[in-house]
Amino acid sequence: MTQQGAAIRIVQLAKRFRGVTAVDGLSLDVPEGAVFGLLGENGAGKTTTIQVLLGLLAPDAGQTRVLGLDPSREGLAVRRRVGYVPEVPALYDWMTPAEIGWFAAGFHAEGPGGSVGYESRFNDLIRGFALPPARKIKMLSKGMRAKVSLSLALAGDPGLLILDEPTSGLDVMVRREFLEQMVDLAGSGRTVLLSSHQLAEVERVASHVALMHGGKLLLAEPLDQLRSQTFLLAITFGDRSHPVAPPDHLPMELIDAADAPRQAHWLVRARDRAACEAVRALPGVESVEIEVPTLEDIYLGYMRSRRPTPSGPPSEVHVA
Amino acid sequence: MLLLGLIPGDDRAIYAQIADRVRFAVASGALRPGELVPSVRELAKQLVVNPNTVARAYRELQAEGLLDAVRGTGLSVTVEAPERCQSARHAFVRDRLRAAIDDARRSGLDPSEIERILHDQWRESGVAGQHEGGQS
Repeated sequence: MTQQGAAIRIVQLAKRFRGVTAVDGLSLDVPEGAVFGLLGENGAGKTTTIQVLLGLLAPDAGQTRVLGLDPSREGLAVRRRVGYVPEVPALYDWMTPAEIGWFAAGFHAEGPGGSVGYESRFNDLIRGFALPPARKIKMLSKGMRAKVSLSLALAGDPGLLILDEPTSGLDVMVRREFLEQMVDLAGSGRTVLLSSHQLAEVERVASHVALMHGGKLLLAEPLDQLRSQTFLLAITFGDRSHPVAPPDHLPMELIDAADAPRQAHWLVRARDRAACEAVRALPGVESVEIEVPTLEDIYLGYMRSRRPTPSGPPSEVHVA
Repeated sequence: MLLLGLIPGDDRAIYAQIADRVRFAVASGALRPGELVPSVRELAKQLVVNPNTVARAYRELQAEGLLDAVRGTGLSVTVEAPERCQSARHAFVRDRLRAAIDDARRSGLDPSEIERILHDQWRESGVAGQHEGGQS
């Protein structure tokens, strides 16, 4: 991976809508060449962040840089250089794919080959997606419209592609084609920022992930690192009076704990698997299984964040 | 072109799965010494995984002396690879069986029951006649 710079830099970004805080002091770097998965529940602030990055929304505080440009002052230049696929594509639906490609080419005179280059790349893309070039967009299926939107974004040969829930509600085949395009783009050193709820897909294609919750960042790091330093400990105890969380002296940080009378499931961050072995020495432990959680397990763990204080008797029984 | 798939139900890191699929393809003869493996971009697109993941698998295979860089063209299978990949295949099957045996013990089965299940399943898989390994 090329680590020389950040394709996107966000510093202390804040955005409020009529008293509701959508983004709350977000700082985040998206390295060049990354496929960066932006995760979080609906309302976490992902779409607001993306709209600020594209210069479509003015932030209340903080700075952003996209491909070295300031979106709040150079929004048009950012939108010309960034490929953007929104959740619901805004397409002129009385046009055909061929017409909208020609129309969009007029706004992309600066790219490689100018407008002609844009239009010919667009036509190659819609041919590759087997889209009917001469059928009106309003007659196209949802999946086909999504592919028109992706073709418009890719035809500019962008250094950065931003996708906001691009495949929600689309069938497996279309999602697959989107993923292939992303992988292809990443293979040529371009950067992809992908906001998605499809955790299994993100897990396959992403190099980095960030998790947002309530407008704040919970984590942002290389996916390899997250997966190699997060563990699910399934512990069986000899009796009911067992610790409800890892004691402070253990070399791990609790993300989420689920409790049953003689069992505990602890999702933890730890340096490595060997560090997790320390739980075997806790009093009353009968057996320990150390598992590698999926990205979905990790996501749910951070969302729940049940962290009982380690000292004191178990007060409450959680249902796993 | 060589077709590699990931192993369903395998929860190890994807790069490790990819490295294993290449080892099996070599062990089964689907990939022979001197032949080129798919390029990083090609295989990333085929498996729909991040190109870094494929690159990491290839680095591991190079470090083990199974793949060798051919100037200007790509990575090819080394002469020593087939023999080494045979033992990698043994290690893989051993680990998978070991994991299944651990599960069986945890669920409270005794060794004779585990053995019976193993023999039954072996017979059934023989009837199905599926040869697992690299497909070309």
